Amino acid sequence: MSAIRFTVAMVNTYRLPVYSVSLEPHYIRQPEALRVMSSLVSRSANFEESALPLFASLYNHAFWLTRNQADAEDLVQETFSKALRAFDSFQPGTNFKAWIFRILRNTFLTTRTGIAASRTVFMEDHPETFDSATAGPTPEENLIRLGDENALQAALEQLPSQLREVLLLCDVEELKYKDIASILEVPIGTVMSRISRARRTLRQLLQPQLGESQ
Amino acid sequence: MTPTSQSTEHIDPNRLSAFIDGELSPMEQQGIEQHLANCHACALRVLSATQLKTATARAGQRFTPPPEALARLTAHLHLEQKKPEQKKMPARIHAMRPLIWTALAAALLFAVSLFGWRQFHPTNALVTELLDQHLATLSTAAVPQVISTDRHTVKPWFQGRLPFSFNLPETAALPPDTTLKGADLAFLNGQPAALLLFSIHKHEVSVFLTQRSTSPSATILKDSRSGFTIHTATTPDLRIIAISDVNPADLDNLLSVLVQAQKTA
Repeated sequence: MSAIRFTVAMVNTYRLPVYSVSLEPHYIRQPEALRVMSSLVSRSANFEESALPLFASLYNHAFWLTRNQADAEDLVQETFSKALRAFDSFQPGTNFKAWIFRILRNTFLTTRTGIAASRTVFMEDHPETFDSATAGPTPEENLIRLGDENALQAALEQLPSQLREVLLLCDVEELKYKDIASILEVPIGTVMSRISRARRTLRQLLQPQLGESQ
Repeated sequence: MTPTSQSTEHIDPNRLSAFIDGELSPMEQQGIEQHLANCHACALRVLSATQLKTATARAGQRFTPPPEALARLTAHLHLEQKKPEQKKMPARIHAMRPLIWTALAAALLFAVSLFGWRQFHPTNALVTELLDQHLATLSTAAVPQVISTDRHTVKPWFQGRLPFSFNLPETAALPPDTTLKGADLAFLNGQPAALLLFSIHKHEVSVFLTQRSTSPSATILKDSRSGFTIHTATTPDLRIIAISDVNPADLDNLLSVLVQAQKTA
């Protein structure tokens, strides 16, 4: 066997590393194969342990992004595949949820819907002058029927996608601003102003509901 | 903004939002709490914002995956996990890829430098051509158009076929053990040439005679490659190039006889 290897080394004039030349019988390679397999298995087991509990959240978010069940499922599936392949690059101790949501978002941005969405220019983060008179709801406005989930869902649907996305990550996924910033790849200050703006816009969208309901 | 100024001014929307999200520093948090204790309007806004946040969280959690979706996903993932085993070969090729690129780059560099070298050394191409043509004559399948040891047969054959003429030495004038075997019309470097085939001590010799004026290169070829010797001689009209694996001295003898023959004409 060593003679064979030596021959291989001899004819390897260009000194290319011999990666796959192994003339050893299969049973000798078995332990290495098993070791590789078991490391793969444990790696994927770790991945599944971290990722599968997030399936429902990722699906919900994917649906909000794609607005379509089949696309949402495809998007989540692709996200899981990409995340599994890239799992080695995930740094333990950092937020796994933020990491996989970022993959989901980046995957979405490569889809047809995502490209179209990213083309929508969003006028954002203009420092708005604070006017205490219009800053908040009157005590009456506080009575807007937040309990009316249908009304709120309708308002969420009308929200510009960039505002809806940031609000969902904050309120539904309960992610910290710094994690949202890493998912959206924007500064934390932008996350803060976008969330604030999303809430104001949502409140404005709920106003007609108030008018209609009275 | 200091906690004291905070306590007298209304909270701006961004900070209020960050406050209910628990994103402020402990000091900012404390400042807002202090303000809220004294400002009923802001306290109401905070309450309203908190209610909106809770309602949003509920409304946003809207789409649940179909029951079979998780099974589909896990099946897909397990299929993916089997792939690395099959993907080993491509992965290995990946590892070799930089080497392949390096090899390609080296090959390209070599080709470019060879081309450049050839540009500066046109004779090198000529040497290759000579060698190729000589090797072609060695093949038993290559039968020269004129098979004759008689100079009186060979020389007239070229008339009308070449734009120049030349003389052949008498058989007796040839060096010892040197025989004219035949002749052929050849093209050397794009120019018509008379190819004379000799043998010296059973070694085959190809002699190319070209018109000197049309020869692109005036350099005297004297080279040896792969065991073949190339010697060149010139007369006022001709350029005579001989190639053979015979002893170089014998090749020179033949050449000088050929040169001499042109003078006696």
